[in-house]
Formats: sequence, C-alpha cells, structure tokens
Amino acid sequence: MTLSDLWVLLKQDLTQSYRVSGAKGKRTKQKSVFRRLLLPIAAVVIGVVIVWVIVAVVPLVGWDTLGTILSDNIGAGSSLFNVLLLFSFIGSIMVSATTVGNSSKMEYLMTMPISLRTLFLEKTIIVILYSSVFFLVIGTPIFIGLSITSTAPLAFLSVPLFVAMMLVISTLGVSIGGLMGLLFSRILAGRRRLKQVGWFLGSTLAVFGSIIYYYFFFASNGLGDLFPILIQIASALGLTSGISPGAATSTLSLGFLVGAPVTISEVVLALIYGVVAISLVNLNAYVSETAHYSGWLTSGSKRTSKTKTPVLHETWNPRPIPGFTFNTATSVSIWYNLTNIRREGRVLAQYLVGPLRFVAIIFLGLFAGGDIVAGYTSFIVIAVIVPFVISYAVSFAGYELVYEGRNLMNLQLAPLSMYDYVMGKIYSSAPFALVASTIVSIIVAIIAPSLWIYIPVVIVSAVCINQAAGGIAANAAAIGGDFRAERLVTRQRGAQVQMPIRGWSMLRAQLLPNLIGFTGLSIIMGLGVFFGPLFAYVVLVPFGLICLSLSRHYARSAGRKLTQKEASDYL
Amino acid sequence: MLRHKWIPDERRLILMIEAIGLKKVFSEFVAVDNLSFQVNQGEIYGLLGPNGSGKSTTMRMLLGLLRPTEGTAKVMGHDIITEIVEAKRLMGYVPEEPVLPERLTGWEYANYVSDIWKIPRGSEREKELDELLTLLDIKDASDDLIETYSKGMSRKISLVAALIHQPKVLILDELQAGIDPRGAATIKEILNGLRSKGASILMSTHILEIAEQLCDRIGIIKDGKMVAEGSMDELRLQAKGEKSLEEIFLDLTGGPDMQKIAEYLGDVV
Repeated sequence: MTLSDLWVLLKQDLTQSYRVSGAKGKRTKQKSVFRRLLLPIAAVVIGVVIVWVIVAVVPLVGWDTLGTILSDNIGAGSSLFNVLLLFSFIGSIMVSATTVGNSSKMEYLMTMPISLRTLFLEKTIIVILYSSVFFLVIGTPIFIGLSITSTAPLAFLSVPLFVAMMLVISTLGVSIGGLMGLLFSRILAGRRRLKQVGWFLGSTLAVFGSIIYYYFFFASNGLGDLFPILIQIASALGLTSGISPGAATSTLSLGFLVGAPVTISEVVLALIYGVVAISLVNLNAYVSETAHYSGWLTSGSKRTSKTKTPVLHETWNPRPIPGFTFNTATSVSIWYNLTNIRREGRVLAQYLVGPLRFVAIIFLGLFAGGDIVAGYTSFIVIAVIVPFVISYAVSFAGYELVYEGRNLMNLQLAPLSMYDYVMGKIYSSAPFALVASTIVSIIVAIIAPSLWIYIPVVIVSAVCINQAAGGIAANAAAIGGDFRAERLVTRQRGAQVQMPIRGWSMLRAQLLPNLIGFTGLSIIMGLGVFFGPLFAYVVLVPFGLICLSLSRHYARSAGRKLTQKEASDYL
Repeated sequence: MLRHKWIPDERRLILMIEAIGLKKVFSEFVAVDNLSFQVNQGEIYGLLGPNGSGKSTTMRMLLGLLRPTEGTAKVMGHDIITEIVEAKRLMGYVPEEPVLPERLTGWEYANYVSDIWKIPRGSEREKELDELLTLLDIKDASDDLIETYSKGMSRKISLVAALIHQPKVLILDELQAGIDPRGAATIKEILNGLRSKGASILMSTHILEIAEQLCDRIGIIKDGKMVAEGSMDELRLQAKGEKSLEEIFLDLTGGPDMQKIAEYLGDVV
C-alpha cells in the first residue's frame, strides 16, 4: 500500500460526490452547480454563523463564567464524546460487510495495481469522513469561536486537537463496527434464510429505534431528555471512565481551551488511541480483503448453487392470494411482486414495518398535545391505519411498479393487458392491509371495548382505502417514476439515493389517498358514533365502491401510460 | 498512432502468462478444474468455451479478483497470489460487463485511471488519451457522464483505460460483443498492432471468426477443463480433418441437439 494510491482514490471518491465542474450529455442527468455544491456551501455557512454567534455572545456572558462552566464539565464532555463513539459504532456495523458485498461495483479499480486492502481501506476512510462530518461541521466552528474568545494562551490548539480526536473516535467506532459486521457475515455465510431473517429483524429494530428517537423529539423536553439517558447508558457501559477515548478527547480539547493543565499521561493516552484507531482500520481492510476472497458476502442471488442437480418443478400454477382466482396477468403480477419482496428481508421489513415511522411522526405529534387529545385515543389509533395502508399501497403498487425497470419491455411485448398487471400490483398489498387493520382493530377493541362493533367497518374501509391508494400510486409511478432506478438493498454510505418516484408524483401518490382515507374514515366513524353503528355500515358501502372504482380508474390510466412508455425511459 | 513503447528483444521466448493447475470451487461447484496453459510473448491466445465453462473465472483469477482454490498462475514470473500488485501492473483488462464510475465523464475517468497508473500528467498524456479516444470514436462523448454511455461506449472507454499504461499483457473478456463494425475493425487492428510490438493478449470470444482470424493459439474449455489447445493447424490435426473452428468447437463441446430442435419446431409449426 502506498499513500499516493490512497490519495488518488480518496480524491476521486470526493470529487465524484462534490464535483465543481459540470458535465455535458443528457440534460436529465445533469445537476446544477447549486445542487452539486449545496452541502459544502451549507457546511461553510453554518460554520461561519456558529463562529460569529459565539464571538458575539461569549463577551456578553463573560469568558470567566463560561470557562469555569467548561472546566467543571470536562467529565461530562467525556461522556458526550463517548456517546458519539457509540453512535459511530452502531451506525457502522454493516458498513464493511456492505462494501465487500458491493465489491463487484469497483471491479475496474480492483484490476489496477493497487492491493485490495488499500481499496477497502479507502472505502472505510470515506465512511469515517461521512460519519464524523456532521460533528466536525458543528463542533469545529464551536471550538474556533470559543478559542477566539478564550483567554487561555494555547486555546487555538484545541481546534486541531478536537478535529484529530473526533477523527480518532470515528475511526474507532467505524472500524470496530465494521469488524463486528464482518464477523456476523462470517457466521451467517451460506445460511441464506437465517441471514434474511436477521436482516428482517435488524431492519425492524432500526425502525423501532427511529420511533424512539421521534418519541424523544416530541416529548415535552425534546431531545434534551435523550442525552441524560444516553449518558446513563454510557456510564453503565463504563464509557465515562477516565481512560476512555471520550475522556482523552475531552481532556485535551477542552483542557487547552480553558487552559487546564494537560499531563503527559493524557497525551500518551490520546496517542495510544490514535495508534489503536490506525491499527483497527487497517485490520478492517485486511479482514475485508479476506472476506472478498472467501466469498462470504456474495449476495444470495449471485451465489452459485451447491450442486447442479436439476430441480424437478411442480406444475406452474402459483396462487398468490389463497382463496382468490385471478386472470393469468394479474396472478403472475401478484406472485412476482410478493416473490420479489419476500426474498430480501430488509425490503420486507422496510415495506411492512417502515410505515410505523410516518405514523410516529404524525401521531406522536398529536399525543404531544397531552390531555386535549386523551379522550380521542381510540379514534387516533383507528386513524393510524390510514397512513399504514397507504404506505403499503405506495410500496407495493408504486415502488414495485417502478422497479419493474427493464422488465417493462417484456411486459410491453407480451400479449397481456397492462391494466391487469397493474391490478396485480395493487392487489398484492391487500393481504398486508387486511392484517394491519385487523391488528389495529384488536388494539382498539382492547382500549375501548364499546367500539368492537366497528371492527369490520375499520377493516373493510382500510382494505378499500389501500386499493384506492394502490391505483393512485401506480398512476403516479407511471407518470413520474424513474424506471431506471435500482433497488439499493445494500447502499454504501455516501452512494447516491435513487428515489423511484420523483417530486410531484410522490406527492400525488400520498396526498389524494390520505385525503380520501382520512375523510372517508372520519365520515364513517362520525356517522356511527353520532347516529348509530348502522349508519356507519350503510355509508361503508358507497365509500368502498368509490375506493374500488378509483382504484380501477387509476390502474387503467397507469396501464395506458405504461403501454405507451418509450424504451429509453427504462433501458 | 498508438505508441506502444515496450519492444521486446527476443520474441516468443518470454512466458507472459503461465497458468498452473488452476482450480476454482464455489461451494461444491467446480468452476475451473486443473487448468494449465501458457501465453507467450507477442501472442494472441483465445480462450473459447460455452457459457459457464469457466473462461471469465479463469481471467478473474489471473487478475487477482478471485483467489484460486488450488494451483496458481504467473504473469511474467509474478505469482498472482503472492505478487498480485506487481502482476496487475503488467496487465490491462476489459471485462465483459464493465462497471464504471458513473458520475465521472469519460475524460475524467481516463485521467483518473492514468493517475492510478502514475502516468505523468501533462500534454503528452493528454495527447495520448486524445488519440485513443479519437481512435475508438468516443472523443465526442468524452465530456458526457459515463452513466449516459451505451454498452459499446462503456466497453470502448474501458479499453481506453486498459491501454493507457501500455500493458504487456491484455486480458479481454468478450470485448467485441456490442461494438459497432467500425469499432470492432479498429480494435482488431489495435490488437494486431500490439501483438506485433510484443504484447500478449488473452481473449475470450463467442465470435469464432474473430478467434480464427486473430488468435495464434486457442484453448477450448468445457466444464472448467481444457479439452483442446493449439494453433488452428494443430486443432485441425487433432480434429483429424479440414474443419473450421466452429466445427471443431462444436465437436468438442457438443453441438445442437438436432432431434430436440426438430421436436420443438414440429410442435410450434
């Protein structure tokens, strides 16, 4: 490995992400200078604003007061830096495994006179930079501002020390996380089903993790509640100890800032962590190289079958939704959709459990209202079902239609009705809408037993709303879908995000169904509560028919658009 | 034109590629089985075989992308396991399906690769790149993002990247597929030129006419094993008759099942 190789690779990776000069070619592939440089410009602006605010405000408070507060809290600083270490560790557990799993995407580099270890090292360094950039963008100007206002003679040293130690912390977190991920992948190598179950559970846990984050966000004290808890966790894990990486960072950076005495042992501790970080990141690269050559991380679809024994197939007659008979085009569409989704645990979790995040954003906000909405809890729980079933519809009928991509050519050439095929996509989300609404209904029946009479109404409405939303989402996908977007199951940190449905079309896929869903369900439940359950059942019939009619109307429109789609849109 | 500076003193005496009992096993599936062959200096060696016979796997092992389960190979004496970086320094590679950095333009990519190969920056390098891009008819698209390139253009820019450092060994996996006739003819001339200047080329192709016209020696592999090897004359001798390469290939790897074809056509018509 040579540093010059590493530098060339790093430079290319960074210039590719933040290119200053534009490129010619297709207009649709071009980005404006503003879009290309938005993030770096934003980072500089934020940095300048932070420095300016600190320089303006600190003299008002008085450096002596602030210096004393900082000196008294060097220990708390240790915990905070250790929490950042924990963040970077948790966020990087699958990073190395993903990089190795995606190595075919950098084959052009792997054939060049660079060792694979250097290549993996460079990818890890990029991840370290991405992991620490947020804290550096916020933290560095804070230290610059404070060191300008500080009266300590060597206060400016705190800035490079903070930057260096922040990078050491990120390197430790990313390297250890990466090694853990590689270890998991070694354990799971070849166990495809177990791996998918693991991905499903991991992705589900991640969704719940983000819901907890939203909870703290909406809680009365906001994120202020989160840090004491994190610091408690850090204490329980022993991360507040005086010899932790956070302690070394805090003592050196804050120490120089306030002019506290820095001992040789603290400098040696920081150097030891630096050496450990460099060793671990190299070990990570070495294990990644081993993992690449061993083939542990070859994705399921690319692994060779163990034997070439011909499989005896049963007669082809998939019944995707038990108990229902569809025409061939619809049936094969449902089967293809469900097969595609269930084969990747992460996608299944994102589609099925992911909507909880939207629900959390909407309803935790409502619950933050406190007593005002307390009496309406059961109705709020019923209303949860609307964004849930709409999200299923958008995923199954919208995203999956776009992910047909090149397969659209086969569909266009085949003698099938594209309307039937789209209907298959829409139907495929119905069983999940049924299950989700049943679960919600049971929860409501437990919270408010008097509402049990409405359980069938809620379930049928939910499925109908889901069908209407499916049609609308399919149509929106046909209008504004990026049919060349790839499903990025293992997206590398920093890689481009390709949204399958763009801008206004995404809004179209979400707005109208939510409007229909919330209005319809409110009218049905309102009539039921004020005039009696029978009224709810009576209104359910026209509402259901309207939803199904909307579903068909938009599916037909989507089918027409897909039939007319030009090959250049998806090839 | 192309200035291939490396001119050998004694042609065909230096062993450029030496595969020694290469074997690659994926799970329990043997993709390449005890494969040995040599490519001499100034020689174009064609690796032919049906789909899935192990051609690409063999090439990937030579390039250090895969590690052999057994056996090894040497590129100009450098072992592909213990001295892979030195071996890669001598090689250029164009894969069957190039995966390229899509957010770079062709020109940026060519320069980036040149930097990796440590070709000094400056007017000479730019002139060289310019010549290659013009020669392969992609000069006009060199400021476009690679993600807008067609398959043929991606292959051409990959070839530019493979030729930039004037490799002594060129490995080409199905290069001609998807390239227009003018491009294919240009590439053929380039390969002939490189051979005459002493470079060695290992290529796989399904276009047997190209193999017959270009290759000095041919190795035919089936199920990961070498089933025949030699010059066209030697292969004909082995096949005992004045046969074309296609006939020899089909004899060795199995021709179409005429009975099944007839059954199928009978069913359809």
